Amino acid sequence: MEHAYLGIDVGSISTKGVIIDKKNNILASRYIWTQGDPIGAVKELVRLLEGEFDKEKYKIVATGATGSARKLVGVITGATMVKNEITAHAVGTTTFYPDVRTILEIGGQDSKIILVENGVAVDYAMNTLCAAGTGAFLSSQAKRLGIEVEEIGGYALRSTHPTPIAARCTVFAESDLVHKIQMGHPREDIIAGVCNAVAANYLNNVGKGKKIVSPVVFQGGVSKNEGVVAAFERTLGCKVIVDPNGHLMGALGVAILARRGSGRREFDFAMEDMEFRTREAGCGGCSNNCEIICVYRGKELIDSWGNRCERGAQAR
Amino acid sequence: MAEAKLRSVSFPRYAEYNCSFKYIIEQALGCRYVMPPALTKRTMELGTKYSPDFVCTPFKTMLGSMIEALEAGADTLFMTHGLCRLGYYGELLEQILRDLGYQFDFINLSDYDMSKKKEYIRIVRRFNPKVNYARFLLQFMEGLKMAEYVDDVTAEYYRNCGFDASGGQCRRAYQDFLTAMYTARNRADVEAGYRAAKGALGAVPLDKPQRPLRVGIVGEFYTAMDAFSNLELEQKLADMRVEVHRWMNVTNQFLRYGSGQKNLRVKVRDLSEYDMGPTSTANIWYARECAERGFDGIVHVKSAGCTPEIDVMPVLQNISADYKVPVLYLTYDAQTSDVGLMTRLEAFYDMIEMRKKVL
Repeated sequence: MEHAYLGIDVGSISTKGVIIDKKNNILASRYIWTQGDPIGAVKELVRLLEGEFDKEKYKIVATGATGSARKLVGVITGATMVKNEITAHAVGTTTFYPDVRTILEIGGQDSKIILVENGVAVDYAMNTLCAAGTGAFLSSQAKRLGIEVEEIGGYALRSTHPTPIAARCTVFAESDLVHKIQMGHPREDIIAGVCNAVAANYLNNVGKGKKIVSPVVFQGGVSKNEGVVAAFERTLGCKVIVDPNGHLMGALGVAILARRGSGRREFDFAMEDMEFRTREAGCGGCSNNCEIICVYRGKELIDSWGNRCERGAQAR
Repeated sequence: MAEAKLRSVSFPRYAEYNCSFKYIIEQALGCRYVMPPALTKRTMELGTKYSPDFVCTPFKTMLGSMIEALEAGADTLFMTHGLCRLGYYGELLEQILRDLGYQFDFINLSDYDMSKKKEYIRIVRRFNPKVNYARFLLQFMEGLKMAEYVDDVTAEYYRNCGFDASGGQCRRAYQDFLTAMYTARNRADVEAGYRAAKGALGAVPLDKPQRPLRVGIVGEFYTAMDAFSNLELEQKLADMRVEVHRWMNVTNQFLRYGSGQKNLRVKVRDLSEYDMGPTSTANIWYARECAERGFDGIVHVKSAGCTPEIDVMPVLQNISADYKVPVLYLTYDAQTSDVGLMTRLEAFYDMIEMRKKVL
């Protein structure tokens, strides 16, 4: 049996999973919506991956979890590697594009920029208090305009005169957009304007003060939107590479990290049928009242976190 | 009338300096000190509820802590002056608390002209008219000495605690030290506590590599120092086996800055011509100092809406580009979840660690 490695990336909007072999070839991959239920999404993901995967030939010897739900997912899948999504993206991208200098990443709720020199990340930034200009903004505006978020790119590319839309803040952008719609701007132009606004917002906020050097790789869910890609290419004045697997890069990165790591534990597909439950418990040890999250497999408590001091650890 | 009985004075929680306030209020001024409860989520809820929305986070923290101090029985609140909006905060805090119906006496340093020595005597008299000035001066200096010791031990703690090979001896030594300071009643207690802490910290077996990862912390005066406000940033970094260095503290900023301030401004003149607020010069100077000393990274800490520190950021970007040192910019608001902070810190750690292996 050959060894294989599983990487799972559970983000705010979508859940991604890949299985790779020793040479980083993708054996199976899936991209599904999280829909506010990371545990359910992971079980569904594992079920779908199992269908695509040749269990006779390969066995999964290490599992990696990343994304904003990495801790929870790491516990329920028995991951050998739990890594933040920034590192996972950097590792994934530099493995496939060793000479990359700038990684732009826009996900459902966060966006980041990673600067790379000689194959190593040397600087990064991530949006702080505000989720302006991310995938969530694009999907809500698509809904307002009555189109699917996947269609935005096509509409944007058909526009010849993109409508200028205030890019500073999602709330302002939205009211500006509504005004422009009511003024009678064509839909294509509005959508192209939204794409430009996302690119401008990203470069002004996350990319502020960072030197963007080519080759530039753009990834995350929003990279599937040709309109935003075109807006980036126009603003930056250079080619922007979008990998066909760009939406899976976090999962790929963490699978590679799991392969490189020392932890080994065979992945059990049986988890898709197990019942996992989380419970929130107020600690009550002091007026901080830490919210402790307890994770159960069936009736058994497998992990808990959220306490700030030792008192919470005892209150399990 | 109120002067006849002993005042119960309080000052909001601020990093670990309340032991020093307590010492000065109790020993030097002969009043009672009401220790506000440790900062918790409840403090922030109280502070946020009664604060203007766009005021900076330390204001909210201080307001919450003042309310908790009043609940704990304080009848006199003390507020410092400052060089940014902080100078106006005393007045605003007092107004908000009076509107809420609290009864208290408010001693606000912004009401006094701090450049005149006579004013200091007026302040001291307000606390306690029967004070013996000679004794006051002596014990006031002892209180300051305590703040210096706190800074000294805290710095040593965060430099080494990530490499503690004994499993907690370092942390225990630090906790014991703080307990000693919070309960000290005279100079002998302070000195003994300090000596014991230095000895205990020195005896902790360290498992430190030849070239450990070193990170410098710069930023806004309150948030950079107060562990509750920055969600235990220093401890989190240290726990990743990082040497954490922070110049900004009461000792360096106030007690030893005096003559040095002019020199600092001269030292950073090529980066910024003017002083941009209470801590900008020191932060710019220290960030470059870290870069020149070959630190692996710099973390810049500020609360949302802190204008002086926003002004510092472009200069830090220049330093980052000139010396090729990554800077992590962190903005704090009244949030109490540290999930987002952990993601950023882990990524920052991974990055500086991988860089170190290659460069």
